[in-house]
Amino acid sequence: MEAIYQYAWLIPVLPLLGATIVGLGLISYNEVTNRLRQANAVVIISSIGIAMTYSFALLASQIQGHAPYRYSFDWATAGDFHLTMGFVIDPIVSVMLSIVTTVALLVMIYTDGYMSHDPGYVRFYSYLSLFSASMLGLVISPNLVQIYIFWELVGMCSYLLIGFWFDRAAAAAACQKAFVTNRVGDFGFLLGMLGLFWATGSFEFTEIGERLSESIANGSISAGLATLFGILVFLGPVAKSAQFPLHVWLPDAMEGPTPISALIHAATMVAAGVFLIARMFPVFEHLPTVMDTIAWTGAITAFLGASIAITQNDIKKGLAYSTMSQLGYMVMAMGVGAYSAGMFHLMTHAYFKAMLFLGSGSVIHGMEAVVGHDPVLAQDMRLMGGLRKYMPVTAATFGIGTLAICGVPPFAGFWSKDEILSSAFHANPALWAIGWLTAGITAFYMFRMYFSTFEGEFRGGDMAMRKQLKLATLPNFGPGAMDVRELDATSEGEDEGHDDHHDSEPHESPTTMVLPLVLLAIPSALIGFLGMPFANYFEAFVHAPGEVVPTLAEMAEEFDIVEFGIMAGSSVGVGLIGISLAVLMYLQRKIDPSAIAKKIEPLYNLSLNKWYFDEIYDALFVKGSRRLARQVMEVDYRIVDGAVNLTGLATLLSGESLKYFETGRAQFYALTIFAAVLGIVVFFGVS
Amino acid sequence: MDFPWLTFIILFPIAAALLVPVIPDKDGKTLRWYALVVGLIDFVTIVWAFYSQYDINESGLQMVERYAWLPQIQLYWSVGVDGLSMPLVILTGFITTLAILAAWPVSFKPRLFYFLMLVMYGGQIAVFAVQDMMLFFLVWELELIPVYLILSIWGGKKRLYAATKFIIYTAGGSLFILIAALTMAFYGDNFTFDMQAIAEKDIPATMQLWLYAAFLIAYGVKLPIFPLHTWLPDAHGEATAPAHMLLAGILLKMGGYALIRMNVGMLPDAHVTFAPVLVILGVVNIIYAALTSFAQRNLKRKIAYSSISHMGFVLIGIAAFTDLGMSGAVLQMVSHGLIGASLFFLVGCTYDRTHTLMLDEMGGVGQSMKKTFAMWTACAMASLALPGMSGFVAELMVFVGFATSDAYSLTFRVAIVCLAAIGVILTPIYLLSMLRELLYGPENKELTAKEALVDAEPREIFVIGSLLVPIIGIGLYPKILTQIYDATTIQLVARLRDNVPGLEDAKIAAALEGATVQQAPPVVDRF
Repeated sequence: MEAIYQYAWLIPVLPLLGATIVGLGLISYNEVTNRLRQANAVVIISSIGIAMTYSFALLASQIQGHAPYRYSFDWATAGDFHLTMGFVIDPIVSVMLSIVTTVALLVMIYTDGYMSHDPGYVRFYSYLSLFSASMLGLVISPNLVQIYIFWELVGMCSYLLIGFWFDRAAAAAACQKAFVTNRVGDFGFLLGMLGLFWATGSFEFTEIGERLSESIANGSISAGLATLFGILVFLGPVAKSAQFPLHVWLPDAMEGPTPISALIHAATMVAAGVFLIARMFPVFEHLPTVMDTIAWTGAITAFLGASIAITQNDIKKGLAYSTMSQLGYMVMAMGVGAYSAGMFHLMTHAYFKAMLFLGSGSVIHGMEAVVGHDPVLAQDMRLMGGLRKYMPVTAATFGIGTLAICGVPPFAGFWSKDEILSSAFHANPALWAIGWLTAGITAFYMFRMYFSTFEGEFRGGDMAMRKQLKLATLPNFGPGAMDVRELDATSEGEDEGHDDHHDSEPHESPTTMVLPLVLLAIPSALIGFLGMPFANYFEAFVHAPGEVVPTLAEMAEEFDIVEFGIMAGSSVGVGLIGISLAVLMYLQRKIDPSAIAKKIEPLYNLSLNKWYFDEIYDALFVKGSRRLARQVMEVDYRIVDGAVNLTGLATLLSGESLKYFETGRAQFYALTIFAAVLGIVVFFGVS
Repeated sequence: MDFPWLTFIILFPIAAALLVPVIPDKDGKTLRWYALVVGLIDFVTIVWAFYSQYDINESGLQMVERYAWLPQIQLYWSVGVDGLSMPLVILTGFITTLAILAAWPVSFKPRLFYFLMLVMYGGQIAVFAVQDMMLFFLVWELELIPVYLILSIWGGKKRLYAATKFIIYTAGGSLFILIAALTMAFYGDNFTFDMQAIAEKDIPATMQLWLYAAFLIAYGVKLPIFPLHTWLPDAHGEATAPAHMLLAGILLKMGGYALIRMNVGMLPDAHVTFAPVLVILGVVNIIYAALTSFAQRNLKRKIAYSSISHMGFVLIGIAAFTDLGMSGAVLQMVSHGLIGASLFFLVGCTYDRTHTLMLDEMGGVGQSMKKTFAMWTACAMASLALPGMSGFVAELMVFVGFATSDAYSLTFRVAIVCLAAIGVILTPIYLLSMLRELLYGPENKELTAKEALVDAEPREIFVIGSLLVPIIGIGLYPKILTQIYDATTIQLVARLRDNVPGLEDAKIAAALEGATVQQAPPVVDRF
């Protein structure tokens, strides 16, 4: 058994190798590599396939009770200081490895269909593989520095993939926004990490936790300072997991191709924040203020995301806000100390949200056949409708995903969300209330999405609507984009209207795209059974370090059917209310949504405009930093450099005058120096 | 007697340069091959010499060669390397050779150009290798002349202004070196220019402060330190790609090297007083230059300011009084030498195609220049300290080294670390918006109508590839670099710490105890 642990580093290295081989091929033999198309995909998919098999082997070994395994080596040294790197395999790592590799594998298979006509097909695969490598590296990291390293690397991959269609101005703006927002979080993460190292002399999670609580107990570090460090570290997850107030990058990140929205911005990378909180649990659990901050940040984000998702018309943006909201649940769970519940929701969410995103990609793929390759048209739900007839498999799997996220029993989301809500209730009923309300909103907007996409009449042929959508987006260029391009965009938009002949009906996606959907539907429906409160296999396996978990038999004994009934009943109840509203408004059309929107117009606009976060940040930070930068440059140019130029002038003038007084300038130069030296030596020699 | 490796390394390119005027060069191709081969031979010699002669566990000077030159005025040809200069000598050989390759398209006065490049080659190495103060001053001045000529002959439109500014600044700065060097040589009983002998002189504290200030001005110009930096954007704005690579890759490092060698090594008492000033200047460098870079619309000036910003970390590291900080400072110099050279080379490549440096006139360039796009992205990522690349390790070491330094109060450290970390946010802002405006988005039709945007040729890919290999190599496993200079920096910091009042070794041990306890021997342990 030892051997499979010794070579566990292969899990991230294999996809890295795949990415390197294909990447080098792209750089040195671009045309040949691009012509080989699927051969590259095969290399990369098989490397991740092996990694997946390996991960499952490790998972199986861990489930059988193998002790955690850790390997480390000296990475950087300076004097007595040693920084180690390495890897660790324990239950939570093995679970994360399995989640990441399965989703990555399925997304890669899906990519073959989705990107089949894209000229950047091979490049996309190499980025995907690079991302998988970084993400897997993050998961197996044994200490804070290594997590930070891979944390940044997944951020870079996310940057590359969001900006994948780099000719689109919106994508260019979005990828920069994602990277910079994440850097703001990393700024906190870095400072917190340095602070914790200063306080404890360690980068290892358990050691930091132990030493920090010791130091607080004996008074060598004030609790306030420790709390500050904790919150700073938490800023990292706030940015990475799109938590309020650093959530603004995630919806924009939908400019990237849909497979990466599923892999990076739903299932894996954004969940890394939750994973980091789990890793830092030994530190955070001793700091109640930090835990409260985490819990409330999660709760606010959950509600914020859901409240915005209600009014979104872009199917991917809607899913993005939903992801943000669900991540809020996980963070809240961590904050109230429900470690296993948070991780469990991370797992179920990874599967059903990946499926929902891939489903939306399938829808977009189908829509593109009708409206052309234009994200504005192909992703807008106002042009969809009735797609179930044309794409039955996509509709069915999307339906399962919707049921799962809404918490309808017995689908996966029910069990995980219910566990979080009941833990939140025990910690603070106010948190529970927010989570409960959010669950209702979630059910509403997800069914709104499902009905407007798959039910009713197909509206893709509505030319008036198309034109209206096209016009509405015109001024919507990324911040700082050049105005000149808007003219181009208008003309391009008009060209596209009549150049090519599209189908009048969408079609079901190819097998490579449908197969992953079906495969993801299985865990989305069933995986919840691992975490039933009376037989919580998941909690028995993955739990906070040091926490004593009851055995399965004890769980069954402790299980209180009445309490479960109340908790589950209330969350299912609020979900059903949301679903019914959605049915009335978007399926049966008995209530007119626009009439309601008119009645509560300020609220509607607040939601539609995403609570004006982008506008506020743009005015405060984007414009502010530009103004500051320009002012500093002016100072540099006029004052710092200006002073010098004046001195330059002065020396020039004196030089000119010298020319008339003296003929031998070199002698004067030497004489001055000699006098100066003499002066100094004499001065210090005497004193 | 052993073979005089260092003397050979310094004199070989200079001697080869003397042959340049007589080399037949009918088709204009012989000369550049000649220069490249000379560069390569010298680089290989450097690597071989260090590999076979240098012991990385020794902290003192090695491979010392000392010949009387003008004994009457105590001038000796004295060269030697320790952990501080050795990595920089290798860097010089590496970057200069690549710069010769980068200069491939130079067609205007090639003879003079390659002559100057080869002279520069030897001169730069000499700056890092000489161990005699007078000689140091001479080579320091000598190496300015080729740079001045390269700037003023092959530069852009405002090249004369830039070159004059460069020479006034640096020559003005070296005046201070001369004064300080002479003062130190004359002081005390024995008149000597030997650096080690000078370092052992017991110079009174007040005098140290004056000398320190003089050196700080001279090297502050070179590094550069705010507010002495304004020559750099002008010089960079007008220089050609090979000159850029040398300026950013090597010349700026001379400032940092000399700061460590003389200010820290020879004037430790004054360093204790001046260290907080250095730290503050470092932070100002980081933030001020990053903001200025963000506002620049000219590609070259943008990168020039980013160089200034990155040098701020060197200052903080030097002043940290910890092994880690000093090690990080040296690493940052080497790392920036590679990254800065690569970015400036890319600016040159881009300019060759677009014939403009203004970002407003570009846009969407990446569509027809995909390989250039990839290289830009990789180098910009390296510059914004992406983990896995050398810049990250250097900055992290400086951060950790300063945060755990026991020479400063907690409040000061917190403030400095927080401010320096703002640079971590600002760097991607200006670098990524530069990438966006340059490469992303729809193609700029005005530009494509005028210029043919051809993708990078193999030579260019080779240059960037050669630079990226060490950047990523150090980033993945920094020990390959840190171990070769570790012995010297540790010894330097130990000497420095003796001069800081109230810093006992016990305290250091306590502060670092955590780090050592945590790091059990690198074995596989199960628990």
